[in-house]
Amino acid sequence: MKLRSSGREAEKIEPQMAPMIDVVFQLLIFFMLTLNIVEPEGDFNVNMPITDSSAPSDDMPKFPDIKVRLVANEDGSLNTIRLGQVNLGNGPNVFAGLNHEILKIIGRPGNPITKDMEVQLEADYNLHYEYTLKAVSACTGRLDSSGKHIIRYIEKIKFAPPVGGTKSSG
Amino acid sequence: MRIKSKKPAVAEIDMTPMIDIVFQLIAFFMVITNFEQIQADERVKLPSDSLAKPPEVKAADELVLNIGFERNKAGEITDPEAYVFYNGERIPVLKFGSSFEQEARIYKQKNQDPKDVPVILRADALVKTGLIQDLIKIAQESGFTKFAFKATQKTQ
Repeated sequence: MKLRSSGREAEKIEPQMAPMIDVVFQLLIFFMLTLNIVEPEGDFNVNMPITDSSAPSDDMPKFPDIKVRLVANEDGSLNTIRLGQVNLGNGPNVFAGLNHEILKIIGRPGNPITKDMEVQLEADYNLHYEYTLKAVSACTGRLDSSGKHIIRYIEKIKFAPPVGGTKSSG
Repeated sequence: MRIKSKKPAVAEIDMTPMIDIVFQLIAFFMVITNFEQIQADERVKLPSDSLAKPPEVKAADELVLNIGFERNKAGEITDPEAYVFYNGERIPVLKFGSSFEQEARIYKQKNQDPKDVPVILRADALVKTGLIQDLIKIAQESGFTKFAFKATQKTQ
């Protein structure tokens, strides 16, 4: 009988490695190629009920809107930001400045009055969208020191009709 | 000294560590690959912001609109007109009203009120703000009231 003859040497059965490695490499290459690096995306919610645009609300708001005016240059880049009457100017830190000013207005983050407050953004028609988004972001809050949680300032953002520009121009 | 006479002279490579690493890599790429991401259009270069966090609760139904420009391979804008990339077509932003109405009709057929369906705007950083506002206004005419602006998450 064969059983006996296959003594010591054949004790260890060697699995066929080659096909497995072939397949595994195939899989590896497949996943490497299909991988497209997608940056995570997040969103800013803006609620725009239809009635708001036409008729002003009858009940007196407790606080006047915080008016943020974004002025654009000819080419669509940001010229100045005005918060109410205050000119915040331009430059790399203007949005941090806006953020700071909003914090001064609301007192402290999470202040109950922020529920009743609204920011009205008024932007030039040709202003690039990224600046508007940054302004929205500066009004809604900032990241805490750990960079993981958002400290909310003002949640309600609304838009005033755009300034200047024609409908026909793309 | 004992010399094994019968063992073959073929040097066996130890495969185990290699297979370990390869499996690790496969698992890594499988986890990282997301097959979703169907509604994003690669022509749109989103602005980035540190506050942009992925939403915790995802709405069951949402209308994702990509607003951007035609770009060449180097990423330069070839056509100053901004388009909505929608179902493989490109529609000038201000002419999107009929598509909104069509979408609103579809939602109504599914017994959904368009005002509960968020419209996700994936707009290029260089699109004019006024154009986005016009688009929102057009959407409101079809009954959409919830909007969200998309931005890529900026890591600090």
